[in-house]
Amino acid sequence: MEKHLAEFEAAGVRPVAISVDAPEVSRNLANKSGYTFPILSDTDTAVIRRYHVLHPGGAADEHDIARPAEFLIDSSKIVRWSNFTEDIRVRARADEMLAAARRLR
Amino acid sequence: MPDGTNDVKNTAPWWGLLFSVAALACNGAFFLDAPFQRLFPWLSLLFAIVALSFLVMGLRLLIARPKLYRRKMLSIVVTVIALLPAALSVLAFVGTRKLPGAAEAPQIGERVPDFILPDTLGKPISLDQLLAASPNSQAPAPKAVLLIFYRGYW
Repeated sequence: MEKHLAEFEAAGVRPVAISVDAPEVSRNLANKSGYTFPILSDTDTAVIRRYHVLHPGGAADEHDIARPAEFLIDSSKIVRWSNFTEDIRVRARADEMLAAARRLR
Repeated sequence: MPDGTNDVKNTAPWWGLLFSVAALACNGAFFLDAPFQRLFPWLSLLFAIVALSFLVMGLRLLIARPKLYRRKMLSIVVTVIALLPAALSVLAFVGTRKLPGAAEAPQIGERVPDFILPDTLGKPISLDQLLAASPNSQAPAPKAVLLIFYRGYW
């Protein structure tokens, strides 16, 4: 994601990551991996539930986490593109997301 | 027709091993970010099933004609070694697809719910802020925000 950040910015798209990780965990990840896009913490899964992307007991220790999901949201907060993988190993590819981003007017 | 001359090689376990390793390699291939990665889980499953078929065939040949094949111990060892990657690939296929659906999630054309969540420094950030120009940058407001929900590292 980070290595495609300039391309997303050029397409006018701001990537934002959301998980149940606490801010410290995400901060470590961002520092270690050099991520500069926003990473938000939904530790009590309130927003994950509101978006209906909860994976109950999905973590190795069986606590609730988010299922992988991507939403491209325009300035009117309307979904313009989304992706819900059926396999946690298969993630949305940056070029698919960039293609969706470039289709926005 | 050889009658217990012990000079026929049982190749099925070796084919089993080859497909078993191929099945496992498909799991490593996700890191390549390849265009056809959606096919990898199915390819992995296919290779694992082919591998298991060869292994079963090899064992049946050994049991049916025990005197026909030489290096029986080697065949059994190869079968046991090949079994592990094939079995792991099948388990991975089942395990990584245990995902709830997203039928109720906001669909294309629908408005998403607002939210405020803390960033990595604990500072609350709203969806409105994400859609607005950043205060410490000359860049204009983004056309869109790409929300990426991920499993996290706990």
